[in-house]
Amino acid sequence: MSATQLAGGVVGIGWPQLLLASGFVLVTGAIALWMQLGVTKDLAIATVRTYVQLLALGLVLRWAFAADRWWWVVGILAIMTVAAARIILKRAPDAPSGLFLAAVTSMAVTGITVTFAVTGLVIGADPWYSPRYVIPIAGMVLGNSMTGIALSLERVFADLDARSGEIRAMTALGATPWEAAHPSVRAALRAGLIPAINSMAAAGIVFIPGMMTGQILAGADPLEATKYQIVVMLMVAAAEIVGAALAVLMSYRRRFSADGVYLEKGFRE
Amino acid sequence: MADMPTATTPALEARGLTVDRRADAGMLRVLNGIDFAVEAGTLTDVVGPSGAGKSTLLLALARLLPGVEGSLSLQGEPAAAIDPRVWRVRVAYLPQRSALLPGTVGHNLTLPWRLKVRAAIARPADETLRAALDRVHLTDVALDRDVARLSEGQAARVALLRTVLTRPAVLLLDEPDASLDEESADQVGLLTREFVDAGGAVVRVRHLRSDGHADRRLRLVAGSLTEEARS
Repeated sequence: MSATQLAGGVVGIGWPQLLLASGFVLVTGAIALWMQLGVTKDLAIATVRTYVQLLALGLVLRWAFAADRWWWVVGILAIMTVAAARIILKRAPDAPSGLFLAAVTSMAVTGITVTFAVTGLVIGADPWYSPRYVIPIAGMVLGNSMTGIALSLERVFADLDARSGEIRAMTALGATPWEAAHPSVRAALRAGLIPAINSMAAAGIVFIPGMMTGQILAGADPLEATKYQIVVMLMVAAAEIVGAALAVLMSYRRRFSADGVYLEKGFRE
Repeated sequence: MADMPTATTPALEARGLTVDRRADAGMLRVLNGIDFAVEAGTLTDVVGPSGAGKSTLLLALARLLPGVEGSLSLQGEPAAAIDPRVWRVRVAYLPQRSALLPGTVGHNLTLPWRLKVRAAIARPADETLRAALDRVHLTDVALDRDVARLSEGQAARVALLRTVLTRPAVLLLDEPDASLDEESADQVGLLTREFVDAGGAVVRVRHLRSDGHADRRLRLVAGSLTEEARS
């Protein structure tokens, strides 16, 4: 069966072609087996998850677009936010317990502000909750800020531990937790922003960004796709720095006691 | 209400100081109800085997440890009535390592005055810092020298000088001369003695033999303090 031309210039993919794509994974799996990489099982599970999760997403989006109700859009955004917060905490094993609220809040504030700033002010989506715009844009914002927040949280607590002697010396001189911790906070925010800066620097030269690729494949004018992509990349950078700053500022203090003392390992809960 | 300070009011006093620490085998009692007082114008050495809790004692006195039980008072004023940051300004603790921050000697010497707690106090002028460095035989160390280029002995003297310049009431020194050459150790000892002679109180954790500066020597074993007879 051959691919079919759909409305809007999109070349549709049939189910047989979709299954055929698994052939590439079989080649990868064969190499992994031959080289004894020990990842064959993970690769198989990841492949099945890719099919299941993305097809489920396609169905949910198709249904959400058809339903066209604001509360469904908000509900989907809430689920995405909570899932992202859980992933962040898994990626920052050194972080103190009880940071779920900080992760959810930073993701939610970033997601809502940046997503609706783009859909409302740049794209001019009508109605404001238009699922076709809001959900994919929110996905990009949350996905990227999740990476930035996770990197920053992991970095801030690792850096605080590495500087614990210096922090103690500063605290002994009368420093507040912020005065003692801010070099670590700065290092963490820098670490969180680097992926976005690298991505912006390489875009268009080293790679064609995903959203632009998708739009071009869907038949959009390349220049129009470029404009969207520029908005998205700037939005992602903003989301990463705002999300990371919120998460780090809401959480670094948990490594200090109420008296402003840095909690060394033997004194943590 | 705190008692009015008298001529015999200790500079720093601890009652029933107890510290527990989380260890692999559960909670470990590091300090076991220590009673302790130091007078102004005296230098007290605390000695004892490794792991006896000497550094923990200094941290507890500096209010740099969480979850310490017991009571502390400074010149008769209970710790509860003094903001922890103000306490740390008046009871200065100098760690054995990592006392200096990356940067220049000048940056490190003026660090205390760049903190909010001393926002209202003018930082010492370069001439004052220069004269202070000369006093501890660091004439060849420029204020713009990177601390990474200081020897261990020079770094120890700069760190002690910085703390002394903040004019605390009590100075808590953790192994101030443990790994220094003889000349640097002598300079650190003399600067410490100078601080005491000017009316300050010093508690010094040491594992080396007496350097002749201490007025009193206490031994910490199994979380308890005992007075050592002077030889």
